[in-house]
Amino acid sequence: MRWIRFFLLIVSLVVIQTAIFPSLRVFGAVPDLLLVATVAVAYERGPEAGAVFGFVAGAAIDVFLASPMGVSALAFALTGYGIGIFQSGLVRSSRWMAPILGGIGGLVGGFLWICIASIAGQDDLFATASFRILVTAAIYDALVAFLVFPFARWACGEPDFAHR
Amino acid sequence: MAVYRRESRRRPIMALIVITCLALITLDGQGNGVIGSVRHSAQEAIAPVQSLVADAFDPVTNVFDGVTKVDGLEADNAELRARVAELEGQLSRDRGVSDEYSQLVQLLDIPDVEDVTGVVARVIRGPAGNFERTITINKGTAQGIVTGMPIVAGDGLVGKVTDSSRSQATVTLIDNPGLGVGVRTEKSREQAVTQGRSGDRLLRLGFIENPRAPIEVGELLFTAGSEGAAYPADVPVARVVRIDRDRGELDPDVFVEPLVSLDQLIYVKALRMPRSEMTTDRG
Repeated sequence: MRWIRFFLLIVSLVVIQTAIFPSLRVFGAVPDLLLVATVAVAYERGPEAGAVFGFVAGAAIDVFLASPMGVSALAFALTGYGIGIFQSGLVRSSRWMAPILGGIGGLVGGFLWICIASIAGQDDLFATASFRILVTAAIYDALVAFLVFPFARWACGEPDFAHR
Repeated sequence: MAVYRRESRRRPIMALIVITCLALITLDGQGNGVIGSVRHSAQEAIAPVQSLVADAFDPVTNVFDGVTKVDGLEADNAELRARVAELEGQLSRDRGVSDEYSQLVQLLDIPDVEDVTGVVARVIRGPAGNFERTITINKGTAQGIVTGMPIVAGDGLVGKVTDSSRSQATVTLIDNPGLGVGVRTEKSREQAVTQGRSGDRLLRLGFIENPRAPIEVGELLFTAGSEGAAYPADVPVARVVRIDRDRGELDPDVFVEPLVSLDQLIYVKALRMPRSEMTTDRG
């Protein structure tokens, strides 16, 4: 049942990311909904689930990007794993956790994406303008995290403390 | 003990993910057909839902556009009035030269924009990511859109088709890093190549044939259309907006702005070049 909810989460976010957010750019940046969802899943269920979810979510959005298939999958999986490790030391109750983690995840995931895409042959990504977009997108990620985190929490179902 | 078991399980999973991703990147980089087919099938499958959702959210995106772009409208209006006046003068001056030029182009048998037919398509979405400049159009191989076709809008060159499935195609815009367009300058007719810069809407002009040529701010750039080029000759591409000349450097940094407003495209036209190889990468 949980995998069906994860599937629905990924498909819905892919549709929203590709159909709506291209028209909602702020200073040339769009949020990365799948990356924020990966951070949310890693926060809820730990590094293993975060990495696997990040891989599948990244591969799903890679289908709609011009960059080589696997770039987002790897960047998101590494981010999910990292956030999953990091979350075990966090206090859970803060309501600011979603935007803080969304923003941090956006920065880390975006930077990893730039590194991996550059290695994969994408031109000219290490430019000042890229980092300006990266920061803007991370702020946007922090804002959309308020909406994505509850959706991801629903997909994760009941808390499973075994992953800690 | 439980913690140890978890740790030891994580590593193989991460290793498997990393290896799979590297394999995917390598295969896709080599143009593997299976990955291309998977991409096309997934895009085709989800396209109707995307279209429905995009239509449903149209009012929201319109309001967002109105709020975020209202500041620039007055400045744009003033700038456009000045440009109209300038171009009207230029049009009169150019009229005398154009007949002579058309005759020469015909003699050289170089395909220009008048020789090509096209397919009109609607832009159905912009780029989903932050670091790419692409659009998706609602026509694909079924309507004759193939990889390599140049794409134009009313004002000039938009980009070229870099991927096409049955009912839609991806167009890489001219300000995407990695997509160079062979151009010539309006006055001195120097050849050069435009170079997109990540995260920046201005293009850099590289490989200028004669870096000491008197290129001026405001000068227009047209496709060079040399033999075997991916674009027909004389399609307007961009306007020079800034020239930085550092002492000691031979080449000036020339920055140009695409003539087409690439963020506000609604309809575009895919050109069928008469004698070109559509899969060529040459600018």
